[in-house]
Amino acid sequence: MIDAIGAGLLALLTPQALLFMFLGVVYGLVIGILPGLGGVVAMALLLPFTYGFETAATLALLLGAHIATIWGDSVTSILFSVPGSAKGLALCFDGYPMTKQGKAKRALAASATGALMGGIIGAIFLALCIPLIRPVILALGPSEYLMMALWGLTVIATFSEGSLMKGMTASVLGILVAFVGMDVVTATPRFTFGSEFLMDGISFPVAMIGLFAVSEMMKMSIRGTPIIDRSLVTEDSTVWQGVCDAFRHWWLVVRSSLLGLWIGVLPGVGASVAGLAAYAQAVQTSKSPERFGKGAVEGVIAPDATMGANEGGGLMPTLAFGIPGGESMAILLVAFIGLGIVPGPDMLTKNLDVVFSMVWIIVLANIVVTVIGLGITPWLARLPSLQANLMVPMVLSVCFVGAYATRGRIEDVVVAAVFGVVGYLMDKYRYSRANFVIGMVLAVMIERNLHISINLYGADFLLDRPIALAMLIFVVVTAALPLWRQYRRKRALLQAGGAA
Amino acid sequence: MSRHAQENLVSVMLLLLYGVVLYLCQDFGPRARLIPLPLAVFGILLTLAQLGWHNFGREESPPPEMIHVDTSAIAATAEGQPRTERTEEQLGQWGEAGAYSIVALLIGLVFAVGIFPAVFLFTAAYLILTRYCTVIRGLSYSTALTVCVYLLFVKALEMQPYHGLLAGWMS
Repeated sequence: MIDAIGAGLLALLTPQALLFMFLGVVYGLVIGILPGLGGVVAMALLLPFTYGFETAATLALLLGAHIATIWGDSVTSILFSVPGSAKGLALCFDGYPMTKQGKAKRALAASATGALMGGIIGAIFLALCIPLIRPVILALGPSEYLMMALWGLTVIATFSEGSLMKGMTASVLGILVAFVGMDVVTATPRFTFGSEFLMDGISFPVAMIGLFAVSEMMKMSIRGTPIIDRSLVTEDSTVWQGVCDAFRHWWLVVRSSLLGLWIGVLPGVGASVAGLAAYAQAVQTSKSPERFGKGAVEGVIAPDATMGANEGGGLMPTLAFGIPGGESMAILLVAFIGLGIVPGPDMLTKNLDVVFSMVWIIVLANIVVTVIGLGITPWLARLPSLQANLMVPMVLSVCFVGAYATRGRIEDVVVAAVFGVVGYLMDKYRYSRANFVIGMVLAVMIERNLHISINLYGADFLLDRPIALAMLIFVVVTAALPLWRQYRRKRALLQAGGAA
Repeated sequence: MSRHAQENLVSVMLLLLYGVVLYLCQDFGPRARLIPLPLAVFGILLTLAQLGWHNFGREESPPPEMIHVDTSAIAATAEGQPRTERTEEQLGQWGEAGAYSIVALLIGLVFAVGIFPAVFLFTAAYLILTRYCTVIRGLSYSTALTVCVYLLFVKALEMQPYHGLLAGWMS
């Protein structure tokens, strides 16, 4: 194994591979920042350029671009509450409030450093776990995936902004919107009203562009002031503060990274779920969960660390079984075919050096992204103070072009606008947009795995799946814990008030 | 309309929406409606509870307005002066109707003239009409943005642009 680690690194230390990695990273950062486009698009567009080059260089280009999109997504989520893709959603919750408080530099630096640490921790654990992880993956089935999705829903209470009923209503709406289109299990068109366009369902990135970006621009046009009015808020944070934050919360980074690695290992779960799950665990394990959603730096560090580690995890099922851990890994599989690499058990035995090359690419690409990211952070942090009359037309235009580019359907522009209005109204009447999106992300996963579980094990599938049952107990405990803590805190306050 | 009435109106709209979902679910098979149907029922119960709480529950503190600027996290101004609330006059001239119109205008332009001409026209019109900059500068900025967006999406990302209904009629 030591030989494979060394060989993997050596293969990467060629001028071509290093140059390709750098180009991939720069390209990935640009794509990540564009709304509606993420790592999948970045990798898909690079595919035609990968044939004929050495294996390590090709992988460096693809993975470098993919890893850079993670931080690219985070940038727009933090600065404008505009997630570049589904992955960046969790960064909006605390990153954007930090920007509004004049802590954009700190948030961006914490995000970049968190992603770097997550990437490295994920890569190290991936290297250590390669021999162990295979039987674990095989032990999990749809029932366990269902429990993981349910765990993601426990974060709803965090974003309910004082009204749990409104928070839950928003989630219900999100879940229902996710059911628009052809039902993947029964092939029934649902809520499509005979529209061919709606048969494909509502595109998740387009809905997010509307809910967050378009509605924010609507708000800004009404307010007429920039995101940060420098006459009221000064940018008083530094890049160094953000770097220190990530190291100060090292235990959160480790936990989030392991969670990201784990979610990455599970095929089909995806980085958007990983970001939300990381945020949920950060809230649930925090001693002061009430700070979340209002600009807590932990709310930035945890999702980024998770998404950094998630890529390493996603490689595992892709390489070991040829089952892509997510959409981007599916594109990597296509690249493997071009390179003559056959995924399967042999990858973890005979071709271990290629696997370790990829582990090294993850580490090195993360370092390059962080160095570039920290370098450009001071300039990026100035963007939210641009005048509203400049920001609104430009961001709105780019958002609509991004919505169109997602699937090349002009109807998606209308969908983005409709969701923009919905997002604006939800914000106005305090129905959490975050909960809406969480419902939307998790709905399909919940429904699909519920159907498969019932098919395989019957309606009482939990009795047949002890791991799923244990996970359900864990879900209930983690959902109840913050409520219990809140109750105890209120009781203590009441007692203190009575004593006074 | 008062905020209280608006909240009630939203709840009624939600009830209608869930009613439509319930109605549409009747056409689905038992498996296809396994989650949407109970979810719609749950949504109705939630909304009824919300309505009850809103009208008969204990009085809540009035929610902050959309255009209220949250200064709670602001320690002081740049000069170290105490924090200040923004006045209505400072809050821009557009209003809600303006915001809806902006989105509708851009959509209309996209459908009429295609996506990239719409970007140019919308940006130029917005910059000039809001008097953010002079006509020449406005046109320059919008040209620069349109060219950048075009190069990025069409040339680099190979997106097929939408040419609009006018182009269809003219050809």
